[in-house]
Amino acid sequence: MLLAGRSLSVAMMVFGFLFLLGPILIVVVSSFTSASYLTFPPTEYSVRWYAEVFSLSWFTRSIVSSFVIAIIATAISAVVGILVARALARGTFKAKALVELVVLTPLLLPVIVLGFALFNILVYFALEGNNFVNLIGGHVLITVPFVVRSVWSAMAGTDISLEEASLGLGAPPFVTFMNVVLPMARPGIVSGGILAFTYSFNDVSLSIFLTGPSATTLPVQMMSHIEYSADPTPAAISTIMLTITLVIFVITSRTVGLKIFAEK
Amino acid sequence: MPMSSTQRDWALSLPAFVIVGLLAVIPALMLFVSAFTSPDIEGFTLANFDKLWNSKLATQAFWRTIRVALSVTVITIILGYPLAIGFLRANARLQPVLLTLLVFPLMVSVVVRAYGWIVVLSPSGILNQTLLAMGLVSEPVEILHTEYAVILGESQLLLPYMVLSLIASLQKADSNLEEASMSLGANPVTTFFRIVVPVSVPGLLTGTLLVFALALTAFATPLLLGGGRTPLLTTLIYTFAFTTFDWSAAAAVGLILIVLALVFVALQRWVGAKVLKSYE
Repeated sequence: MLLAGRSLSVAMMVFGFLFLLGPILIVVVSSFTSASYLTFPPTEYSVRWYAEVFSLSWFTRSIVSSFVIAIIATAISAVVGILVARALARGTFKAKALVELVVLTPLLLPVIVLGFALFNILVYFALEGNNFVNLIGGHVLITVPFVVRSVWSAMAGTDISLEEASLGLGAPPFVTFMNVVLPMARPGIVSGGILAFTYSFNDVSLSIFLTGPSATTLPVQMMSHIEYSADPTPAAISTIMLTITLVIFVITSRTVGLKIFAEK
Repeated sequence: MPMSSTQRDWALSLPAFVIVGLLAVIPALMLFVSAFTSPDIEGFTLANFDKLWNSKLATQAFWRTIRVALSVTVITIILGYPLAIGFLRANARLQPVLLTLLVFPLMVSVVVRAYGWIVVLSPSGILNQTLLAMGLVSEPVEILHTEYAVILGESQLLLPYMVLSLIASLQKADSNLEEASMSLGANPVTTFFRIVVPVSVPGLLTGTLLVFALALTAFATPLLLGGGRTPLLTTLIYTFAFTTFDWSAAAAVGLILIVLALVFVALQRWVGAKVLKSYE
């Protein structure tokens, strides 16, 4: 009875993991097919769809702009996020609750609604054509809260007496900030940066309202490509995106730990 | 003149405050206004909501959204317990591997995860190839672009959140209780419902609220797996914005989603403050 219960729960666990990872693994394996349609497992293996993908101009253009947008947005989010996190962690000003509410608003509202609302206001001011700038602004918006939360909690956990010692020994506030405050908050900054980059690189719900002829991102392009083509190119692109995710994953597990992705 | 501490705090807060204020708070307020105005009517009006109320498409999308979110929550609970219990029973060497397998999918693009289901479920996909080869069906089963595909895709998307919430609360429970129950002759099913479930209530509650809220607001997965034939509230905004160009209706749907999302934020806070306290 006990044994039956145990093997049943092991079987259910294996089923759970298959449900979670099976479709992703099937995509990876079937991307290496030589056929012009998807089969699993492929009867013959080749990398022809990877060659095909890298010859697609929309793919190379959108993967480059996805990287550029994610890097710039992460950098801006990191700077403004660290500054406001400092005010929230150590500040005593009356408007603290208001600042917190405003800065964390993007976490409270559905991203799809934020996207439509932002699109609406851009159209109102006839700015919807500046796709590149709009995408960066939008991505800063949805990634800032992640930086603020991680850096804030890292700063709140540090010892204030070290700062006081630095100031007391005559270091100016700016020098103290750069040499004492920032290094102590480093794990939070790294976590926030990784989260910001990942969310920016993967976002669809907001970007779909901001992309256009002058700039677009890889997930949005891939989404419209899936709808109109039945060949294995999306499988090859998925595998490339998984490889990028894997690199971020390894960096995360070597630095701040995977737990940062478990919170929402 | 040196800055006062209030001035310094404001100077530090200002860049983020202005960016989020301009790009999120003001657009959200404008959305609120356009949901209650209509190009044909002067002043504020409920016409947009009235139109949604009388539209079969919109009411169906509303109930479908609720139905999908409920189904996804139930499926993640059913699949979540064995995964959480399995994780806690695994030895110290296996646990990091299992945690990796749970968290890695959360980092993978939702488009990639939805595409996995397209490959499995499409008429010429792996599932239908297998069913046809085994002679179980004579023509491909249509699952893709139905509500079932959306439910499957969102369940896979959100399962890790449920498992992690359950692990967090089961970790605190005493595993001796389970052994005691079994050695006193209770069978595994009784032990599960009388011992495991009660101690995991806090995790079950937080997991349920989180999964339900995220299921309500998921967008890419229902768009790719449900297609145009099975709209949800989120995909309806997109359709209104880019296919029918009815931006007042899109704003009204957006406002409904904001209200639903805020109700869940309030519920999460309330459960966090009141219900979970009683378990400590």
